[in-house]
Amino acid sequence: MKAAKLAIPSLVALAVFMVALPFGLKLHQQDFMISLLVWVLVVSSYRLMALTGEYSLVHVVLMGAGAYGSALLAKLAGFSVWLAMPCGALVAAGIAALLSFPLFRMSGFYFLIGSFAAGEAIRLSWTYFTVPFGGPKGIKLIPSPELTLPGLGPIPFFEPIPYYYLTLIIVGISLFILYRLENSRIGLIMNAIHWRAPLAESVGVDTWRYRALAFVIASFFAGLAGALFCHYYGTANPAQFDVAAMVYVLIWVIVGGVSRFAGPIVGVVVLSVLNELFREAEQWRPLIYGCILIAAMFYLPDGLVGLPGRIRAWLDGRRGVAAAETGEAAEEPADLASPRRR
Amino acid sequence: MGITRRDLLTATAGTAVLGSTVIPRIGLGATKTLKIGFLAPLTGEVSAWGLPGLYGCEVLVKNINAAGGVQIGEDTYTLEIASFDDEYLPDKALQGFKKIVSEEGAKFVMMLGGDPWPGVQRFANQSKMLATTLLPSDLSPDTPYLLAPCEVHPIYNVTGVEYLARNFPDAKRAVICAQNDSLGIPSVATYEAAFEAAGIEVVDVNIFDPATTDFAPLVTSLMAKKPDIFCYDTAYADFVNLIAQQLHIQGYKGLQISCTCDNYPQIVEKTSKEFMEGFIFQFPDFDDPKLNEPFINFPEPNKFFADYNAAHPGTWTAVSWEYPSIVLQWIAGAKLAGSVEPMQVLEAMKSKPSWPHIFGEADWWGQDLWGINNALVGKWPVVVIRDGKATIAEFGDIPAWWAKNKDVLIKRMRERNQMWDQRA
Repeated sequence: MKAAKLAIPSLVALAVFMVALPFGLKLHQQDFMISLLVWVLVVSSYRLMALTGEYSLVHVVLMGAGAYGSALLAKLAGFSVWLAMPCGALVAAGIAALLSFPLFRMSGFYFLIGSFAAGEAIRLSWTYFTVPFGGPKGIKLIPSPELTLPGLGPIPFFEPIPYYYLTLIIVGISLFILYRLENSRIGLIMNAIHWRAPLAESVGVDTWRYRALAFVIASFFAGLAGALFCHYYGTANPAQFDVAAMVYVLIWVIVGGVSRFAGPIVGVVVLSVLNELFREAEQWRPLIYGCILIAAMFYLPDGLVGLPGRIRAWLDGRRGVAAAETGEAAEEPADLASPRRR
Repeated sequence: MGITRRDLLTATAGTAVLGSTVIPRIGLGATKTLKIGFLAPLTGEVSAWGLPGLYGCEVLVKNINAAGGVQIGEDTYTLEIASFDDEYLPDKALQGFKKIVSEEGAKFVMMLGGDPWPGVQRFANQSKMLATTLLPSDLSPDTPYLLAPCEVHPIYNVTGVEYLARNFPDAKRAVICAQNDSLGIPSVATYEAAFEAAGIEVVDVNIFDPATTDFAPLVTSLMAKKPDIFCYDTAYADFVNLIAQQLHIQGYKGLQISCTCDNYPQIVEKTSKEFMEGFIFQFPDFDDPKLNEPFINFPEPNKFFADYNAAHPGTWTAVSWEYPSIVLQWIAGAKLAGSVEPMQVLEAMKSKPSWPHIFGEADWWGQDLWGINNALVGKWPVVVIRDGKATIAEFGDIPAWWAKNKDVLIKRMRERNQMWDQRA
């Protein structure tokens, strides 16, 4: 109850912070924030997929499909970038829709391997077909969006601050949609499929359709993230969307925690910021990063998002000991294992 | 008349690298700190072509500063390397470029190039920042401030093939394997052209994914073609190592040629001296006595090699001397310009039709392949492993090869969609 009351002021404070943030950052940190927002959308959309209980290895490739789709439409077909970006996202969703036919004949580990194979096939096709994908070097000089506002003139979206706000708005709207979706009847059904698929089927839920729906929607937002990425950095190449990038997404999601909507976001933010903080350590950085990951896995099985709950439980435990000594009852610790905690 | 080797040595080495033999030239003004940007992969699978370069620059800069710094115009500068790990990603490269240029105040930025460059290109052009790449395939008419002043990858590979053809005239069948990326493919086109020019038939080309870890099937397939020559193309250091081991296991007895052979002592150890005897590649160790020839524009290379190995044993690779040689060239340009400002240095360097490249006088070149004359092309060493040790066999002449075989190379580059006007 107390948490619900705090939610809106917290969100407003977060929004104000995010709006003011770029002015307190250095130039290269503004670029970092753009990347971070893009990856926030990628991991959040991945969680929608994970909600049905399936972990795929094709998500980053579908992000790439969005990037390639948008880049080709803007560069070769002459689409406005504003139109190319959602179209790129639709390309990713369309590919996901096609892939869902073979992939959802499998589940669990087989689905994981199948999604990896599908992803590699797509990625290698970008490498193999120099026309139109540019081969190993990919596509470069991808245009950034153009917008002229009356009285303000053209907005330079190739500059970090305008693009940061554009990304913030798009990612913010996308997260809102994903959150609403997860809390809707569809989201509940997806959750039911995760935890009790046979039971859901027994009451008439078409589990294939809902799994495919989650996959397609998640891929749409991953594609949108890819489009946002390529129109700022001006390039899309196969190496950006390889299995190493996918492994990072998995790490962010798992370390952040999948049990809550905020989990993957916390994961990507904390680990990416730590990665930047340790930049001075140069080649030792992966080792430090790895140690942090191992520590998180050992001591935070619910993910980083479960940390406050664990601290609370620990404090409550301490209070409980103190209360037992003084004869008072301690508050019951939070249930951290529930998948429906948000 | 281009700037001469003597000018360069006076301008750069004289300020420093020798340390014990040169009196520092303390300038008229106060000593300032001059930052040099280093933006390359320092972690990950491409780090073998980044991190050793940073080590090399640190050794060079330490020696220069120990000798009193470098005098440019009225000021004396001590040098500092501002490095950033671009992880071979365009977004990280842009972050790093901005940090190095806008926050650290570096006056030029050395990059490996390749995949990260397109992320940086727009900002580099806007900020008119002088940058360098080791991969001239980054060059195009859209990159006026990007130079390839040291390595003209992969064009110098023709010198190795020319040497091979001359010394082993009976070798007539070659196979090539290459990873499918921006390093591998232009190199395939170059080797195909060089073999064609030398009258050697390429009987198979196997282009593999960079994620490959098991090279046994690849080697089996290529050996089935009964080649006289096995060409590793521009494979990553780990790939050369693994492929060589497979060739050894599967009993290959023919000639071997590669762009690089980093950490070759390890390969010799894992295979045998006999197997690696005659292995041809393009990057010398700097203890080679041939690098003391008068036309070499790198002061005391043998001492540099010793200093490097003392500081960072076992890490020497192709790039360990390349980035330092670019630093020396930039210093020469800054001295000529009398300024450290990027555009003035660039103008000074490009004001001469030729410039002292590390392996002798070289021409600004590249219009036919990259649409802009921003690459230095001259001589390049052909290195052969003899009794387990890399030795320079000769210095090949790239412009001479180009004059005879230009059309073949352009044809092969176009077949592989590697001409600048074919890029997406």
